[in-house]
Amino acid sequence: MNPLEITLGILTAVGGFVDISELVFAAQAGSGYGYALIWVFAFATIGIMAMGEMSGRVAAVAKQPVFNLIRHRLGLKLGLVTLIASLVSNLITCAAEIGGAAIILHLLTGAPVMLMAVMMMAVLIGTIWILPFKWIERSYGLLGLFMLVFAVALIKIHPPWGAIAGGFVPQVPSGLSTTELIRFAYFGVAIVSAVMFPYEVYFYSSGGIEEGWGVKDLPVNRLTCIVGFALGSLLSISILSSSAQLFTPLLADPQLPGTTALEVELPMGRAGLLLALVGILFAVAGAAIETCLANAYSVAQFFGWEWGRHKKPWETPRFTLAWIALFLAGLAIVLTGVDVMKLVEFAILFSVLVLPLTYLPLLLLASDRHFMRKHRNGTLANSVGWIYFAVIVVAALAAVPLFLLTSGGQT
Amino acid sequence: MSPRDKIQLMSGLLDLPILDKDWRYCGIVDDIEFEESGENALRVKALLVGPGAYRGRLPGWLFSIVRWIAGEHISRVPWDAIVEIGSAAVLKVSGDDYGLHHAEDKARRLVPKRGAI
Repeated sequence: MNPLEITLGILTAVGGFVDISELVFAAQAGSGYGYALIWVFAFATIGIMAMGEMSGRVAAVAKQPVFNLIRHRLGLKLGLVTLIASLVSNLITCAAEIGGAAIILHLLTGAPVMLMAVMMMAVLIGTIWILPFKWIERSYGLLGLFMLVFAVALIKIHPPWGAIAGGFVPQVPSGLSTTELIRFAYFGVAIVSAVMFPYEVYFYSSGGIEEGWGVKDLPVNRLTCIVGFALGSLLSISILSSSAQLFTPLLADPQLPGTTALEVELPMGRAGLLLALVGILFAVAGAAIETCLANAYSVAQFFGWEWGRHKKPWETPRFTLAWIALFLAGLAIVLTGVDVMKLVEFAILFSVLVLPLTYLPLLLLASDRHFMRKHRNGTLANSVGWIYFAVIVVAALAAVPLFLLTSGGQT
Repeated sequence: MSPRDKIQLMSGLLDLPILDKDWRYCGIVDDIEFEESGENALRVKALLVGPGAYRGRLPGWLFSIVRWIAGEHISRVPWDAIVEIGSAAVLKVSGDDYGLHHAEDKARRLVPKRGAI
């Protein structure tokens, strides 16, 4: 693969890293706890790097995407539970992304949010129908790079770099009441869930198969996961840090994606605001495509249908009908008028519950000598993988009580 | 691995994707049919593919839902038609020979054949 292709792949990973839940939770984490949750972003990013790399390696070597493995390793019953849970999680996430994109379009044009949601969905369906996989992934990923304006804005406000660096050290802020500690823990779990969303590995590993990865692509897979995800995560950390610097003194709680864009307007004016909104629009719209396709991939792989957007839509008819139906279902949720931020909270909750069921079969197969041969997990990958698996099991167990105790982070 | 090798059947074969000779997905190994082969021995007769094969693998109420949504069709793929077992079971013939593309062909009528690059 030539250097241009590698660079484009990494940039696509950067632009496609941030989605609406990361955007919202990063901004809220910054305004609520300063820099104290940066380490959770960093920790979860290493987790998604490790798991993403494994899913790409398995796709390249065993030529099997994640949901085939889930069915084969967990069996029909537990596999079906995982499928249904991930469908619900991804569908709610997809609805949240469509709703978020509609809000941004509303801010940009002044047109009604519901009309913008319908328009957005028509554009997304048209995009997937017309463009082959690589173009879909690249166009939204690269246009999402407008989000880099958040990093520029952070530099312009001259933040306390020492304090930001200190945020990478695991910590719990001192002097918090029990209620505040519980809310801090909820934010921690939510950030792990938002960064390690299961749809990301479904999409990434299926994307590897769409692009026909083989053993020769393993170095690129590793580079994309490590460099692309690290830079994408730095973007999230920029949003958190700007929020800590600008919103905390104002006691502002940035609950909407549009509010987050104000981080850029304050230091860079109207042009900055526009760039931030366009960046958010493409990042969130790209995530809507990823969640919807991830769902269609999951169903098709679970039942052994023909799938993939490297083929024409009529060559994979059940897969095509699935992603169209899932988009329509996502739009229907938005059109009920439900609060988009509520959708984000539920998406985070369902995702964290699905995480262990997604990553267990992946870990088992990535270390399987028979399928992976010399490309199976080494000691480092296995150790990192199992440590993260233990963490996400604890996060999954803690998620529902924390969600209930904090009313979804509101109290 | 060849179909003649000893494998852990239930864990190695069950729920494995099936690909045909043209590398098209043909479903999943939903169940395995055995036949008697000599005294106290069983031999795999066929792989069963389709929602009807979920009977006995899912709780009754869940199977009723599956049957309501997808029916209870079963396709039988003779063991002799398998040429390789790895991360998928690979057929030496087209999936059409065993009706494995029937549902895909039916859905194809609903999808317009234009507009995509």
